[in-house]
Amino acid sequence: MIPFIRNENMKIYKRNRTWVMIAIVLLFVLLQIVNIKTTGRDAVSGDWRAQLEQQNVKLREEASKPGALNIEVKQAEKNMLLNQYHLDKNIPPSTNAWNFAVSQVRNIIIAVALISIIIAGEIVAGEFTSGTIKLLLTRSASRTKIYFSKYIAALLFGLLLTAAGILVSILAGGLIFGFGGLADSYFFVKDHTVGQVPMLQALLAGFVLNIPFLLITITLAFMISAAFRSSTFSIVISLIVSVTGFVIAIAMDGWDWTKYFVFSHTDLTPFLYGNPSVDGVTLGFSLVLIVLHLAILHLISYPLFVKRDVV
Amino acid sequence: MSLLQIRGLTKKIGNKVLVDQLTLDMEKGEILGLLGPNGAGKTTTIRMIVGLMSKTAGQVMINGTDTNTNFEQAMRHVGVIVENPDLYKYLSGYDNLVHFSRMTPGVTEARIQEVIALVGLENSIHDKVATYSLGMRQRLGLAVVLAHKPSLLVLDEPTNGLDPAGIRELRGHLKDLADQEGVGIMISSHLMSEMEMMCDRVAIVQKGRLVAIQKIEDMAADERAGVQFEVDRPDLAVQILQTIMSGDEITTDQGHILVHIPKTRIPEINRKLMEAGINVFNVNTIKKTLEDKFMEITGGEDH
Repeated sequence: MIPFIRNENMKIYKRNRTWVMIAIVLLFVLLQIVNIKTTGRDAVSGDWRAQLEQQNVKLREEASKPGALNIEVKQAEKNMLLNQYHLDKNIPPSTNAWNFAVSQVRNIIIAVALISIIIAGEIVAGEFTSGTIKLLLTRSASRTKIYFSKYIAALLFGLLLTAAGILVSILAGGLIFGFGGLADSYFFVKDHTVGQVPMLQALLAGFVLNIPFLLITITLAFMISAAFRSSTFSIVISLIVSVTGFVIAIAMDGWDWTKYFVFSHTDLTPFLYGNPSVDGVTLGFSLVLIVLHLAILHLISYPLFVKRDVV
Repeated sequence: MSLLQIRGLTKKIGNKVLVDQLTLDMEKGEILGLLGPNGAGKTTTIRMIVGLMSKTAGQVMINGTDTNTNFEQAMRHVGVIVENPDLYKYLSGYDNLVHFSRMTPGVTEARIQEVIALVGLENSIHDKVATYSLGMRQRLGLAVVLAHKPSLLVLDEPTNGLDPAGIRELRGHLKDLADQEGVGIMISSHLMSEMEMMCDRVAIVQKGRLVAIQKIEDMAADERAGVQFEVDRPDLAVQILQTIMSGDEITTDQGHILVHIPKTRIPEINRKLMEAGINVFNVNTIKKTLEDKFMEITGGEDH
């Protein structure tokens, strides 16, 4: 299996366009820094206490605005509690490499997922388009091996690119905001009270608990690619589904039916550093729902790929 | 044990029978040509043998291993090129070789260098395949399927798109492999003259059935060859020939006289003509070509 995965990796990383895609993700991280820097959100100048108090007044207004989305109210409440915590404990807020990286993990995962769709959508269909499938399937290797080596290579691409994105956000963030603050705590709101964990733990948990989004999007693109042999079809459909799924999950946050909506379960951080959007949903429930979706996708594409007549 | 044993190989799609109960054996070091009109089922047969298509019924054994039950083991010593060898254009020739060599355990770097030298790609092996000519791609394709030292090569229309020099080169490689390394080669092509020069045996497939299988040398020997004499006085020559071989058919076409005689009689006739003062410019034996034979067997249908 290892030589097969190495082959797939070679085919991914020896193409120039892969590096263009990687560059896009890294550029995206740098743009986030520019964004924060130009809006001055990182600066703690003058009286930070007065600034936080003023912010809380504004947040309270926003939360009580008629027609506010569920998620907006929750965000406002969370930020008010965090601001109040800083005021109570007299800790001035600051931006540094580490809390910048933590704040960017979810953004990076989403950017990486959209890019990974292109890799996963191409990885099987591309072999049919180029005709190389004929050489690939007539070697001493079962189709099962080829199928899973390709799937694993696509997942690895997503995971490695996410790790690279986080690394760049730490390095670039550090150069702009400073590397201090690694010993600080990461503050979060769970059950209406503020809790804290070490910064690195929050960073690692953010990475791991956001992986489901990557899994779902990559598997969807891979499924369409393997089942229908069309990379265009796969990439377009997967992009549409992933983006709409993501947007719906935000807009409909807290609605009861989203309990069964997989994109409402692709960010598992609330189980540690917050509260699940629908009451009563457990980590186990989310995991089962995710695994179920992955299994269904493979149950569609795997038999089609293994049994297909190559003409 | 035969290198390749095919038993009752059948492919049906819906009600249509593409390949019908095909049974065939192939030995080591043999070059077997698969002939047939378009749509006769050659390609389907080859794709079933190498696992690109599923079989409706039947069995394919390679070196005694059944491809139905143990595909990986059976394909261990098989090299396949279906139509043009499509390789990864964005990789170098060398990376393509590494890629496919990794799929079979035991292919060493030394062996990779050996096949590069065999097909003469030393100077361009590190260039991207996108920059290769079709002939170079064909050579690289051959290197790819030879790297793991197959005992059976299966080639489907490998000469498609090749220029005469490329075809000649490929023929040379294949002959060497069969003669020197005992590789069995199954090849399908619609170029009859090519098949005639290359193959030891041909199997003719028509409408999904194997209609004939014959050695090339037997095909040539089973008919009395035609002999053509080019002379300056054909009228006189015909008279003389009629006295020598009374009753046999003699056809003339301007200065050319065609008779059907065994090879051994040529000197005698030639001497008689010269004694009569007729100048013989050229004596030419005309063999029945594979194409003639093919037309005879298939009835020239669909062709």
